[in-house]
Amino acid sequence: MRTGALGLSIAALVALFVPTVASAHATLRGSSPATQSSVAAPPTEVRLRFDQAVSIGPRAILVLAADGAVLSGPARLEEDGRVVVAPVVGLARGQAYTVRWQVTSLDGHSPAGVFTFGVGVAAPPPMLAVGARGTTWRDDAARWGLFVALAFLVGPLSLRLLVLRGPVPSALERRIHLVTTGAALAAINIGIVAFVVRASNALQLPLRDLLYGDLQPFAEKTRFGIAFLVMTVGLGAVLGLLLLSWVFDALALRPVTLVLSLGLLSGLSLSGHQATEPNATWLSALVDWLHLVAASLWVGGVATLALLVWPAAPELRRRAFVGFSRLAVVLVLVLALGGVYLAIERLSRTSDLWTTGYGQLLLAKLAIVAGALAFGAFHHLVVRPRIEAGAGRRARSSLVGETLVALAVLLAAAVLTNASPPPPDGASAPRASSAG
Amino acid sequence: MVPPPEVAHWLAGAVALLIGLLLLSEAIVGPAVFRRRAWRAYLWPSIALGGGIGLWVVTVLSTFSTIHLLAHALWAEAAMIAGAVQLAVVRGKLTSPRWSLVVAAALLVSGVAFLVHESNPWLSSRSAFLHHVIGWMLVLASLFPVGHAIRPRRTVWSAGFALTFVLLAVLLFADRDSAPPLGRLGEGGVP
Repeated sequence: MRTGALGLSIAALVALFVPTVASAHATLRGSSPATQSSVAAPPTEVRLRFDQAVSIGPRAILVLAADGAVLSGPARLEEDGRVVVAPVVGLARGQAYTVRWQVTSLDGHSPAGVFTFGVGVAAPPPMLAVGARGTTWRDDAARWGLFVALAFLVGPLSLRLLVLRGPVPSALERRIHLVTTGAALAAINIGIVAFVVRASNALQLPLRDLLYGDLQPFAEKTRFGIAFLVMTVGLGAVLGLLLLSWVFDALALRPVTLVLSLGLLSGLSLSGHQATEPNATWLSALVDWLHLVAASLWVGGVATLALLVWPAAPELRRRAFVGFSRLAVVLVLVLALGGVYLAIERLSRTSDLWTTGYGQLLLAKLAIVAGALAFGAFHHLVVRPRIEAGAGRRARSSLVGETLVALAVLLAAAVLTNASPPPPDGASAPRASSAG
Repeated sequence: MVPPPEVAHWLAGAVALLIGLLLLSEAIVGPAVFRRRAWRAYLWPSIALGGGIGLWVVTVLSTFSTIHLLAHALWAEAAMIAGAVQLAVVRGKLTSPRWSLVVAAALLVSGVAFLVHESNPWLSSRSAFLHHVIGWMLVLASLFPVGHAIRPRRTVWSAGFALTFVLLAVLLFADRDSAPPLGRLGEGGVP
């Protein structure tokens, strides 16, 4: 042990006195024009300031017009290689521009990034930069994963707090701890993946370069980025509360955890495509959040019944089923009312339902919802009376069926959230560049 | 304005030093003496768990590159899970010494994250050197909790585990991303 400790001590001392200047890969510290800023007059050059010297090629900075035309000249280095400058010509007032950059750090890594600025107009968000791609199946899959993880976080918590109050068998309590903690961890990680995937649509970098891609414009200047920051820290706190509640059997922490988790769901409402539409209001965001809360509690609750209560606490099946059945009526009502309001808000005409891609997606979602409601009605009208009469032991398979259909509803919701509703009558499409 | 990375690294160094000194105290005086006050046993796992939550704040401030974001997220999760499991062990909720393997896994994953995080040779820069030293130190140190899981009563495991955190603190304090090796923050032309 002494030899090992001595070796590690020597390594630490060596680390203190290695006579080289540190150089992690270069980080962009500022730019002129600033990220997503609006400048009064067309600039004659674009300057990027890094925290350390970099090396560059002539196309280290590309300034692009909305039609994709390159307006920048060859880049050069200034201030001991910490500042990269590219001259620009042909910029006009009333236009927005995209800056794409890539440099090489002393350590050989190639940080890269993209941002926008406007001349006399507001700059579009970086997702609408020239060359950016729209959302893909990866975005849909990540958002669906996030929906599912959050449903499995709030579902067991709400069932335990609202329906199964008081002591429950330890096997069920253990499973609830395990599932909610796992769901919180999954939600954090899937959220990170969703954020990186969304940024990569605009960065358009190969995987190796994406590892060194600058995500700051997305994190700090977009709604989904800010929602990501808040949700990540918030879910970290939720994870901490869940772990403490498990270690110390502090069940009093669960209401706080549930409220915090439900509040964090608003991040999904505020970061969806619809939240940035011209006709979005605080009321539509609120209704969207309520719609999402009701869906998460419903899906998570059914899954909890099927996967946790049924196998782990047979003696509580009746109480849990009947109690959740009552709660589900309220949840479905909120879901339906919220859904109708949002559909009216987002579709100007009834014909949008079958003439636009968004409307067709909504119809597909409604078809799946109808299937889920049929399951719900069967449970409410047929299974519940049987269970109340002491029968209905085979309800688990139909509960699993409803869970699977409900997960499909969440998938449709994820695709719909990433889709763009048709522009309202008289409004133009919000995209600020011609890039697709 | 995001503070320079050194600030976060030095904060992490302070937390690591605190954990290291607590563990070292227990290794020197022995668990029987150290745990005469029951709350002392909860100290380092609580700091690890709380530090993990704090690391999420650092994680969301690390969006200047994807790899930094991912690495910090991994360290936050490792610290939280290891801290919570150790808290459960102290509380008696988990009784098998094999639960030390969770701490071993956390150290291993954290070490690998350091090594993957840094693709340059050892001596290419101070930063690269520190990443390699810390990475390999954590990978090797994951053997201490493994040893504890197999032979829980031997002091060498707890002493080695404690020294790992003290050395980690020294290495984190040695970090300079944009200043000369022994200069103060701001020298070397920080923009």
